Amino acid sequence: MSARLWITGLGLVTPLGVGVEQTWAALVRGDRAIGPIGLFDARGQRVSIAGEVASIPWSSHVPGRSAAWSRTSVMAAAAAREAMTEARLDTRRARVGLVVGGTTGGMLETEQLLARIHAEPGRSDALAGMLAHPLTATGDFLHGALGPFARVRTLSSACSSGANAIVVAASWLLAGEVDAVVAGGSDGLCRLTLSGFNALAALDEVPCRPFDRRRRGTSLGEGAGFLVLESAERAGARGARPIGELAGWAVGSEAHHVTNPAPDGTVVASMIERAIARAGLVAADIDYVNAHGTGTRLNDAMEAAALARALGSERLRVAVSSSKGQIGHTLGAAGAIEAAITTLAVARRTLVPTAGLDEPDPAFELAHVPHVGREVPRVRAALSNAFGFGGMDTVLVITEPELVSRGQGRARAVPPRSTAREVQAVAVTGVSVFGPAGRLGAEECGELPGKRFALDAPVDPDAYLDAARARRLDRAARLGAVAVGHLFAQSGAPTADAGLLLGSTFANVDASAAFMRRIFEKGARAASPAEFPNLVPSAAVGHVSIYAGLHGPAFATADLAVSGESAFVQASQLVQAGEAPRIVAGAVEPRSGNVQRVVSGLFEQTPSHSTAARADLAVAILLEAEGLARARGARVLARLGQILEWRGDEADALASLRGPRSARAEVLLGRASAGAERLLAPTSWRGVDRVLCAPVLGESDALGALAIAVAAARLGAGLVEDALVLGLAKGRGFAIVLVRA
Amino acid sequence: MDGNAGDVGAVGRLRSEIKSLIVSELNLKGRDPETIEDDAALFGPAAGGLGLDSLDALQLAMAIEEKLGVPIPEGDEARAIFKSVRAIADHVAKVHGG
Repeated sequence: MSARLWITGLGLVTPLGVGVEQTWAALVRGDRAIGPIGLFDARGQRVSIAGEVASIPWSSHVPGRSAAWSRTSVMAAAAAREAMTEARLDTRRARVGLVVGGTTGGMLETEQLLARIHAEPGRSDALAGMLAHPLTATGDFLHGALGPFARVRTLSSACSSGANAIVVAASWLLAGEVDAVVAGGSDGLCRLTLSGFNALAALDEVPCRPFDRRRRGTSLGEGAGFLVLESAERAGARGARPIGELAGWAVGSEAHHVTNPAPDGTVVASMIERAIARAGLVAADIDYVNAHGTGTRLNDAMEAAALARALGSERLRVAVSSSKGQIGHTLGAAGAIEAAITTLAVARRTLVPTAGLDEPDPAFELAHVPHVGREVPRVRAALSNAFGFGGMDTVLVITEPELVSRGQGRARAVPPRSTAREVQAVAVTGVSVFGPAGRLGAEECGELPGKRFALDAPVDPDAYLDAARARRLDRAARLGAVAVGHLFAQSGAPTADAGLLLGSTFANVDASAAFMRRIFEKGARAASPAEFPNLVPSAAVGHVSIYAGLHGPAFATADLAVSGESAFVQASQLVQAGEAPRIVAGAVEPRSGNVQRVVSGLFEQTPSHSTAARADLAVAILLEAEGLARARGARVLARLGQILEWRGDEADALASLRGPRSARAEVLLGRASAGAERLLAPTSWRGVDRVLCAPVLGESDALGALAIAVAAARLGAGLVEDALVLGLAKGRGFAIVLVRA
Repeated sequence: MDGNAGDVGAVGRLRSEIKSLIVSELNLKGRDPETIEDDAALFGPAAGGLGLDSLDALQLAMAIEEKLGVPIPEGDEARAIFKSVRAIADHVAKVHGG
């Protein structure tokens, strides 16, 4: 396993142009691409300018220009293809992973269906179409058009999604499980985000002016950015050349406020310090910062304070700029687009500018790059910052290739540090479930199979929450907060350094529909500022991290009906890679009227799935590095044995699955499934007892996470020695082996 | 001393309506609207105040415009209007009356 991570390919679609070269030339010139919106009718909006991608390259990227492709997916395909072409990556000759970050997915297309439903409420075809653009769709289309990929992950942490996709890629590469990863983000403009940012009064009426004293908000943009990351060892062996190196990173949550950053910048400052230290560098080695720099009063003040604190005496030397005055805030794509721009700045020894910065805010002591870019002798190392709603922050450090080993950084006092950490054994140290049976801990979860509960009993999270602190939480967040609160109360684990990954299949489809309905009925000014932050797929994660005080990595994962499994698997991979000492993984699925009506067709069809009543369900599972768990005297319920994940309907997906090592073994399934039996037939788990989690707590897309929780609880209670959890959805699956500790 | 004494007639009803809006729009569950003092600070950490923040201000402005038909201006003017329930009611009454 190599500790070095090379960036070997870049791809960009931005309002400044399609492709890296068009975007780069315009960036350096200081061009701005923020103007009146033509993509949809923006009349009645307080601010109606944004950065639009003028020509979407449909023909070259979409087979047959299928109507199923969203604008977001097309931009993603164009950028990912460009990055893969530059890296000369062949997905058939190497194990290549794909990580896609985003926030709105196919919302622009969904809005058109919502408008039709609004006009004709009975239209079930439009209603079904509404669920046809889940966040997962972009990764699925890319898998088909550019893959096959060995694994695919879809995540959202609002405006840091693209940066977190890169962090996930790094964790996979350091674990040695894939040879290369295509990672990035894509986000298309839509009415929902424009209305929401206007409701928050967060948009400037002129193209945004980051770090300017007159700044009055950000400008929205759209686009896609993808990077190819590889271990230097494997990339070198196949003759690939590095553009730059991903040398360090830090991910964390402010746990402060859903839309406002903590004003003093101390959390972000400590993350910048951690990211620089992880790269084996000191502030004196950093030559450039591509800031999050949204142009809002609060963000820029917080970020300037954080940079001043983290860079110390170097703050007047280190060049700082924000690309948002040129391309706008591309939301879920921003972290990846700006990481690509930062890589280019390093590789091409050129600082890109902050457009619109005529009057730098005198409160900020920063070395700005106003108006136009400029060449410099070197950019040895650079930071790329990305901050999201809910306070989910990510800092990346990108350097010249081999900067540290060549000893050219000035970091003599800091020994070159390996970015690789020892692979940690992962333990499950707690489980909690909240749903129709109330609040359950490990003891009750172990006994859950075979029990019966009244599924129509009201699920009342408010009985367990502080009303004042919970007032901003939507239903999903309330359910999640109860489960997570119970988990920490039972396990006694510290909260402060814990992360949170929650799977969500359709996120907030009902709330998004209601938000748009108000706009259709009453106009854009009726968009609710309080409701808007709840519509981003990571809303529940953000709320729960704030409510429970969790400062570790936090994001939502989406993977159709196995979203909970993907959260658990990703959390395991992050703990294994040493990215956090402990992470809560699980799923939150509030009962949804829209999903209940049209859920069939998107999932593997089984009788139980289509007929059972859907229930509110939240599942929380605590994963810890086993050594740390033992050191704090935690009760270890189960240990992670093996994870397999695959794409496509692979008959031999379980070929490398290890067999049960005890006669006291079980296979746990969310629900009965013919597909699962077909996969299990050729394995030594064939004759092992099956345990079904449906319909004990009703039908839900969180049943996979429930199966994992029940497995860990049964192992902890000594009921079994070995457990396999199998989660399947259309064209994808996870097999998770847990063993008794 | 009862800060809410003498709330009769149109202005009193308007203040009650605004208090109800604050509780429902900002999801202050369990809070009896009538326990909000007319002059209590709505925003910021002031003692005896409601401790609301900028996101609440935006939501409240939208609700007042929608339910009472009175737009709230932005910036410093809004800060003065959002000082207390009394100040909001005075602004609404002024716009209605003018």
